Amino acid sequence: MSELRAVSFPNQKGQKLFGTLHMPPAGAQQKPCVVLLSPGVKMRVGPGRLYLPLTEALTALGHPVLRFDFFGLGDSEGELSETLLADIYNHIEVGRYVDDTLAALAWLRSQGHSRFLLGGLCGGAITALLAARRDAAVIGLISLGMTVTLASNAATPGKYLTTKQLDGKRHQYFRNLLKLSSLWRFITFRSDYSTIWHSMKRLVVKPAPKPAAAITGVAELPPEQRGNANPLFPPAYFEFLQRGGKVLMLFSEKDRLWSEYEEKFEVPFAERLKPLAGNIEKHVIANANHVMALAEWQREMVAFTRGWLTRTWAPS
Amino acid sequence: MEEPFFFRRGEVPLFGMLHKPEGTPRLGFVTCHPFAEEKLWSHRVFVSAARALAASGHAVLRFDFSGAGDSGGSTAESSLDLYLQDLAAAVAELERRVPGLERIGLIGLRLGASVAALFAERAVENESLARLRAAPLILWDPVVDGEAHFQELLRINLSTQLAVYGKVRETRDQLQERIRAGETVNVDGYEIGKPLFESCALPKLLNAEPKRHAGPALVVQIAANEKTPERADLAALAGAYPAGTASRAIEHPFWREIKPFYGRAANLQRVTQEWLEKTHV
Repeated sequence: MSELRAVSFPNQKGQKLFGTLHMPPAGAQQKPCVVLLSPGVKMRVGPGRLYLPLTEALTALGHPVLRFDFFGLGDSEGELSETLLADIYNHIEVGRYVDDTLAALAWLRSQGHSRFLLGGLCGGAITALLAARRDAAVIGLISLGMTVTLASNAATPGKYLTTKQLDGKRHQYFRNLLKLSSLWRFITFRSDYSTIWHSMKRLVVKPAPKPAAAITGVAELPPEQRGNANPLFPPAYFEFLQRGGKVLMLFSEKDRLWSEYEEKFEVPFAERLKPLAGNIEKHVIANANHVMALAEWQREMVAFTRGWLTRTWAPS
Repeated sequence: MEEPFFFRRGEVPLFGMLHKPEGTPRLGFVTCHPFAEEKLWSHRVFVSAARALAASGHAVLRFDFSGAGDSGGSTAESSLDLYLQDLAAAVAELERRVPGLERIGLIGLRLGASVAALFAERAVENESLARLRAAPLILWDPVVDGEAHFQELLRINLSTQLAVYGKVRETRDQLQERIRAGETVNVDGYEIGKPLFESCALPKLLNAEPKRHAGPALVVQIAANEKTPERADLAALAGAYPAGTASRAIEHPFWREIKPFYGRAANLQRVTQEWLEKTHV
């Protein structure tokens, strides 16, 4: 049975952050401490309490786990000034909660921990990467649905959708063709014409294949490919991999984040990724949605993470 | 001062956060959050309300029901009876941690409000819950029709099926059949099982028959705008209490994913605080 404790620690602004610390069963060989970072505005348990089965599996393997709330969210102190969720998401994508994450690592050091893995879903994953760049004691990332763009769901205009997303939208439009409500929306100017146009355009205009060049940053991409890519992601990712960091990239098949990672990062940066491929393990959970809602998807996520940890940090 | 801790209902650990005011509080509150993902979306509204109440001199215990938040257990095993037991454990924990309290009120939202209302009726017969009898009972948009509420939850499952498979593989009736057969159905990551479904998915989870809770009771309809029609069922519920008040607060449905970020529900908080002042608590 793991030991469970409600904890709090200050961030750099002196705001008290609340969380829970889960210690492995007594006598277990202690492994690097895992910090699970909250996604978006959801609190430290994650959507659908996604982080709970993961925490259980991690402590069973010997990893202490800290889950905590960022300032202005969950139980923690502080107030957010944004009035729209989309704005909060965008601020998270450029590192709003990196300092809070570093504060958590500082507190864990004071508790005797010295090596860390950071993990999280979506906003938690990008925060983990950006924080890892600033603390050499972070040796691994458990990324669940890494976001590589700056656009939030609500604000994503049609022109930033990936080809997979556009194809999915087109199939949906065809399915709705005979629905009166859909036709009514279309003729009363309430449809998203931009997305409809971009998805239909793909039927006749096929984009020319991009040359595989050794691109080093988002700025080098042509504008149509650069789109809404997060310029902070590639440098942080490559820096972490080059210093020997290990990364587990888990994606959900039906999540836009998967096709965005492929089309907006993996393909254009393929040449630069090749020599570092040994540090990355990637897995896509079939049919899963963004929050891995179904128990079977959660089980697969937990099982793959457990396997990766065992393979990567097996006693030599 | 805010203090996080775990306490127990039997073997199940429950997470609690105590908001302690300066001085010696005489009135305390226990909050009851709504079900499933509604709990996460509305979390910060409870945090800000608890902080405001503590600033007014009241002690507040926020806690996670079993199967929710940081607490143990799972929704697959949850039932109305277990929720009532969780709430009893939370009230006892508040009494233990803040011994001088004369009265303990309840504040709930949606299904949490329904649990609070049902618990307050039980308190009438229970000597160990005497501090609840004359205390405020605050019901924010309580779920009156539990059956309709659970149909809404099942609709989330249908939406997930549509988004993932492009079609509905299992109809609403089939989902209900599976639950009644003892299986669970997933709603946004939470498994709904037979005990919860059969105890809460009732058309008259809360009815308008005369209530025995003698303390002041506030029933708030959360309305999207001024034009939203008044809810007769909530007015009738308020009228069922000897000292009941029906009220309205204009707020977005902050317990769902909506475009605005809800750090606090200012109107709801104002309506509640003004009522508390009027009832001299």
